[in-house]
Amino acid sequence: MGTIIELSHLKKYFNSPKGKVHAVDDVTLKIEEGSTLGVVGESGCGKSTLGRTMIHLQDSTDGKIFFEGEDVTRVNKKKLRELREKMQIIFQDPYSSLNPRMMVRDVIREPIVLAGKLKDDEIERETNRIMDLVGIEQRLRYAYPHELDGGRRQRVGIGRALALNPKFIVCDEPVSALDVSIQAQILNLLMDLQEECKITYLFVTHDLSVVRHIATDICVMYLGQLVEKSPSKELFRNSLHPYTKALLSAIPTIDIHKPKQRIALKGEITSPINPKPGCRFASRCPYACDRCAEPQKMEEVLPNHFVSCCRVRELNEL
Amino acid sequence: MERNNNFLSVEDLSVEYTSEGKIVHAVNHVSFSLQKGHTLGLVGETGAGKTSIAKAIMRILPDFSAKVTSGKVILDGTDILQISEKEMRKLRGKNISMIFQDPMTALNPVMRVVDQIAEVIREHHKTSAAEATAEAIRMLKKVGIAEDRAREYPHQFSGGMKQRVVIAMALACDPDLLLADEPTTALDVTIQAQVLDMINDLKQEYDTAMIMITHDLGVVAEVCDDVAVIYAGEVIEMGSKEDIFDEVAHPYTIGLFGSLPDLNVDVDRLSPIEGLPPDPTDLPHGCKFCPRCSYAEEACRENEVALTEITPGHWCRCRKPGKKEAPHGNNH
Repeated sequence: MGTIIELSHLKKYFNSPKGKVHAVDDVTLKIEEGSTLGVVGESGCGKSTLGRTMIHLQDSTDGKIFFEGEDVTRVNKKKLRELREKMQIIFQDPYSSLNPRMMVRDVIREPIVLAGKLKDDEIERETNRIMDLVGIEQRLRYAYPHELDGGRRQRVGIGRALALNPKFIVCDEPVSALDVSIQAQILNLLMDLQEECKITYLFVTHDLSVVRHIATDICVMYLGQLVEKSPSKELFRNSLHPYTKALLSAIPTIDIHKPKQRIALKGEITSPINPKPGCRFASRCPYACDRCAEPQKMEEVLPNHFVSCCRVRELNEL
Repeated sequence: MERNNNFLSVEDLSVEYTSEGKIVHAVNHVSFSLQKGHTLGLVGETGAGKTSIAKAIMRILPDFSAKVTSGKVILDGTDILQISEKEMRKLRGKNISMIFQDPMTALNPVMRVVDQIAEVIREHHKTSAAEATAEAIRMLKKVGIAEDRAREYPHQFSGGMKQRVVIAMALACDPDLLLADEPTTALDVTIQAQVLDMINDLKQEYDTAMIMITHDLGVVAEVCDDVAVIYAGEVIEMGSKEDIFDEVAHPYTIGLFGSLPDLNVDVDRLSPIEGLPPDPTDLPHGCKFCPRCSYAEEACRENEVALTEITPGHWCRCRKPGKKEAPHGNNH
């Protein structure tokens, strides 16, 4: 299996009245075909922007994006159309991401019609196939989104993303608006689809237990930068970055007999506007020192386990 | 859950809404009780009726569409559903207060946060404006908001800070009963941890009785003493936290635990509860959960199932309570 998508020093800045918002700042990563990369972080850390920039919903400010080995950082409209057939997105909120005036059938068939590759009767068959694939009953084909519950709406959103058999899908918090019992149904569906259709996912979420369940690898983001990246099990067994440790310790567990030792973080996430060089977590980090004011490098501390912290070896006694 | 020295007891509470000519049975004959200093978790999915229970206790259900059709809410010996609105106004905010789910909409956008808290204090205590403001600032400090930010407007605050303002407001008059409706759902985990720690500290300091409404079993594990699981407007399982987490008995509660990805255990597939909660305008006959239950039998569909005490203090609404073999761990 090869690399399907690769980012090299990707940056996305937004202008604001107070200065430049460094939403994604110098992110380098690779995703292997057929795997799932989980991106976790708190709200405002740039994880959604990363996903959206990767698939060209927004233009990047700097850096490069490679898709299947080809540089697709800057593409013309025609090429973008071709790319869109291969890269899709599932949005967070199934209530606002579906056109309220389009019927379920039309939401799913629109991409197929626009691709212009199939005849009418084939489009009809393909639409039915997708509806079966994502588990929407045929009786709902003429229903409008407001008639559906959240779980079914998210299935329609997934169906729309799958309509053109994409190779890569960005899942932007696809289950966070759903109840737990429905959330589990959708997670199982996404995993079945991955197996069946050989899709690669970038799974953006703030819910660490969800990401542990679905992702092969996980990267942790803080204020636009990656602070740690490792295979999923390794990260939960042996997290190395102080931020990841604090984040993991903050999750309430359902084990009532083993209360967790919580690492309390001071304050809140700082502003991503014109950040100072150096570690962005330093102001909340219990281990911050003078060296943290210098720019940090992502290093392979253990095999396949990357951390961006100058004190990582000393703190973890490696 | 002893029946003596209960500070709050809710008995046989039912709430109905009228919507487009149909009757929505939101809360159906719910009973529970709570002691001072204890926290009861109300757990359930969207639409289960959790918030309606809290609003009925606060008496803030919408007048035109909602009706309390039966029941009593006895707070410290008085049935507060029977007292006049004028008396209720005195209790609300002072003896009972509520932390709302969405801090973005619970605050007045055109009023400084300190004034919003001072307003509550002046409503219930005879104090000067200056004293009320000083007290409001003290409350804000308690929840970790510095004095120099007290005169700002809600839009200048982050989500976590707004939630803390809402909590400060709810605690301003030192309530005896605190209703917290998903107070951390809109927050990030690190901020959620801060807020939960703070609620725990304040609860101990003031010996407040609290009802924590949530769908997050992790939050329940952290802050609650007792748990009531709500499904289709009914209590389907109730007991101490240990009863529910160690001796889970109702198939629905078992399903809720099965739907959670566990951080410490590897599972290939989650075992979700199939199907959807029932339509509250057209509740099924017999056990409300039977259409989704893998163990349902003819008798479950025919007869109402009563809430029965299976071990002392642990109540369950199921004909065959108890842990069972996973029936459909893999049904694809």
